[in-house]
Amino acid sequence: MTADVYPAAGGLVERAAAAFVSSVPEVRADDGYFGPASVTWRLNGDLSAPVAGLRSLLVQALHPLAMAGVDQHSDWRADPAGRLASTAAYLATITYGDRVTAQRAAARVRKIHDRVRGVDPVTGQGYAAGDPDLLLWVHAALVESVLASADLFGGPLSEADKDRYVAEMTAAAELVGILPGRAPSTIAELDDYFSAVRPVLTLSPAAAESTRYLLDLPWLDEEMGGLWRDVGDAAVAALPEWAARLYGLVPREPVTEQRRAEVRQLLGVLDVLYLGEPGVLEARQRLELRMRQARRGKA
Amino acid sequence: MSRTDEGVPGEPRGRAAAGSPRLRLSRGLAAVRLAARGGARYAGSAPRLFIAAGEHRERLRNDLALQTAEDVAATLGTMKGVLMKIGQMASYVDDGLAPPVRRTLSRLQDSVPPMSAELAAEVIRGEFGAAPEEVFGTWDPEPIAAASIGQVHRAITRDGRAVAVKVQYPGIAKTIEADLGNVALLRSLLRVAAPNQDVNALIDELRERITEELDYEREAVNQRMFADYYDGHPTIGVPRIVDELSTARVVTSDLVTGARFAELLDWPQTEKDLAAETMYRFTFRSLYEAHAFNGDPHPGNYLFHRGGRVTFLDFGLVKYFTPDELQPLVHMVRYLCVDEDPEAFRRAMEEADFLTPGAPLPTEQIVEHMALFYDTVRTPGTRTMTKGYASAVARRYFDFRNPLAAYARIPRSYVILQRINLGMFALLGELGATGNWRAIAEEIWPFVQAPPSTAMGEAEAAWLARRPRRP
Repeated sequence: MTADVYPAAGGLVERAAAAFVSSVPEVRADDGYFGPASVTWRLNGDLSAPVAGLRSLLVQALHPLAMAGVDQHSDWRADPAGRLASTAAYLATITYGDRVTAQRAAARVRKIHDRVRGVDPVTGQGYAAGDPDLLLWVHAALVESVLASADLFGGPLSEADKDRYVAEMTAAAELVGILPGRAPSTIAELDDYFSAVRPVLTLSPAAAESTRYLLDLPWLDEEMGGLWRDVGDAAVAALPEWAARLYGLVPREPVTEQRRAEVRQLLGVLDVLYLGEPGVLEARQRLELRMRQARRGKA
Repeated sequence: MSRTDEGVPGEPRGRAAAGSPRLRLSRGLAAVRLAARGGARYAGSAPRLFIAAGEHRERLRNDLALQTAEDVAATLGTMKGVLMKIGQMASYVDDGLAPPVRRTLSRLQDSVPPMSAELAAEVIRGEFGAAPEEVFGTWDPEPIAAASIGQVHRAITRDGRAVAVKVQYPGIAKTIEADLGNVALLRSLLRVAAPNQDVNALIDELRERITEELDYEREAVNQRMFADYYDGHPTIGVPRIVDELSTARVVTSDLVTGARFAELLDWPQTEKDLAAETMYRFTFRSLYEAHAFNGDPHPGNYLFHRGGRVTFLDFGLVKYFTPDELQPLVHMVRYLCVDEDPEAFRRAMEEADFLTPGAPLPTEQIVEHMALFYDTVRTPGTRTMTKGYASAVARRYFDFRNPLAAYARIPRSYVILQRINLGMFALLGELGATGNWRAIAEEIWPFVQAPPSTAMGEAEAAWLARRPRRP
């Protein structure tokens, strides 16, 4: 497939920002599944979030059945920005929304998953998006990507906080239909999970094609495209060694201290764009106030 | 991967520093262009004055106050402080940045909360070795205004002097210095933000200005110079620096209260005209006589008093001219407006390096293009400054499609001058100020030195006469 089939689309920053703003409630029934004292809240708003998002898509695509499901059922080619924005919106909603709102969003996702079934052309196996194994894969890839990206390009993160994040995120796993107790709840369990699943992973043609596309979104204007490619390069640099090997991707630049600072500067510029969108500053301030209250409450 | 080729003509777009990995941010500044789209959805762009902010917002800002040096780095690091400065420097100019870019950058300014009382006190302790209440007799922990890289507190010194104390955000100097090191990214940002300018010159200018502004000792020196120069002036006020309470991160000066620019807009037109006359006299007297240009015509840097008295605040951005730098400017205005000698004007432009010698353009065309900049002083009589005039000047300044553009440039030492010039016109336009600007200019022009043309001119002449002779 060539890039020609992808329609010109845009508005990624605008749509992701709008999704974020609408996911941060002004009036709420409760603190949701994570709450203002959680590591999840902190990491979701971290500077490294765009890198984490891209990296987790790269990792997730390496499971042939997960990739087949996306490839055969998702509308992402018709509206890639919308697809990325709605994933971001879902995550923001279950993170910051109250429990009822999170459950409603999760129910919608599970309903969509029910319809996603088929046969993977690479392995010949049947798949279903609601398959707990696939859900677990997508979940684990996200959790691990957020940690790896924050580690490389984000704010300081202690080992204890990493464990806490993995444990907190089991709530997100249960929301999409993974049975309690199945999702890893510590870094060690997460590592074990990846060791166990690795033999299944492969770079399918659909994965190769779609990730090439993701790393170089052709519909971005030239300058924004260059910026995005730099984010992509940072995501590649954050990949685990085995994933980079499957892709045959090598980051253009090793992550030295200087490179890390430059990526953070780039992410800072990106963050300013995001901040320039209507309502983003106010939504962030609402969250920050609640996080501060939570810290004060604990102290 | 190869860089896209969209460099400045004659300037290879190569890596910023050979050997050091650099982000390909060239087009990155599309970032800012993109930001424009978001910002475009905001209505209005009234001058943003911290003091005038609503009470709710004030409280919110306090609840969100920066509590640690890490908070400062998170808020102003990763390019944000630098972008904010670019926004401020460009904000003097109507068309210097696309309005949506400006709004996005001012959004960034809104996102910077004040320091908490504890953090500000920590800076004071770091600089003076004692708590603010000990260093000053009385200390108001609530900031009264935000400065670009710090905030202003009120205090009363032990000997009873009411002062304004500007306190710099801790760690900001190091943070901004690191971000200014990413030249590739800066170049891309500026290429988008100010597409028609000599980007390398702008980067130099930006780095120099920001570095200067971070150095409060230099600001104190500037302010001292202006305060001394205008000592006793009938309408120009410059708060005195309190030397023993000023350091590289804290600058203390006399506390002055007055109306803000937004309030002045509601005053009678006669008051606005008088305020404008003072601003005009200040700008050109400083330039022609003190050879110094106070580079920050931000509306927040003035306090207005009835009868045309204006207090000038914030001397972090001052450009000093050598006689050699100033001379061609003097010649230009003289040959165009007084001697009316177009060929001499053209030669002066060439001498100043504004114009390539021997450019294949008729002199009339050059004069016609440049005349707009001198519109207010080229002919005698009263004129009303309008927003339209300010915009037209700025548009022409940034009009690089004009045939003249291929042969014209703004030499580096004049970049800031031109920008600020435009900024002052923008403020006077906002005031809709009427005056006989030519007559006032003639009082000040060193090659004319005409007698006073207004009551304020009389008062100023009396001040000049009783002022001790300066070298």
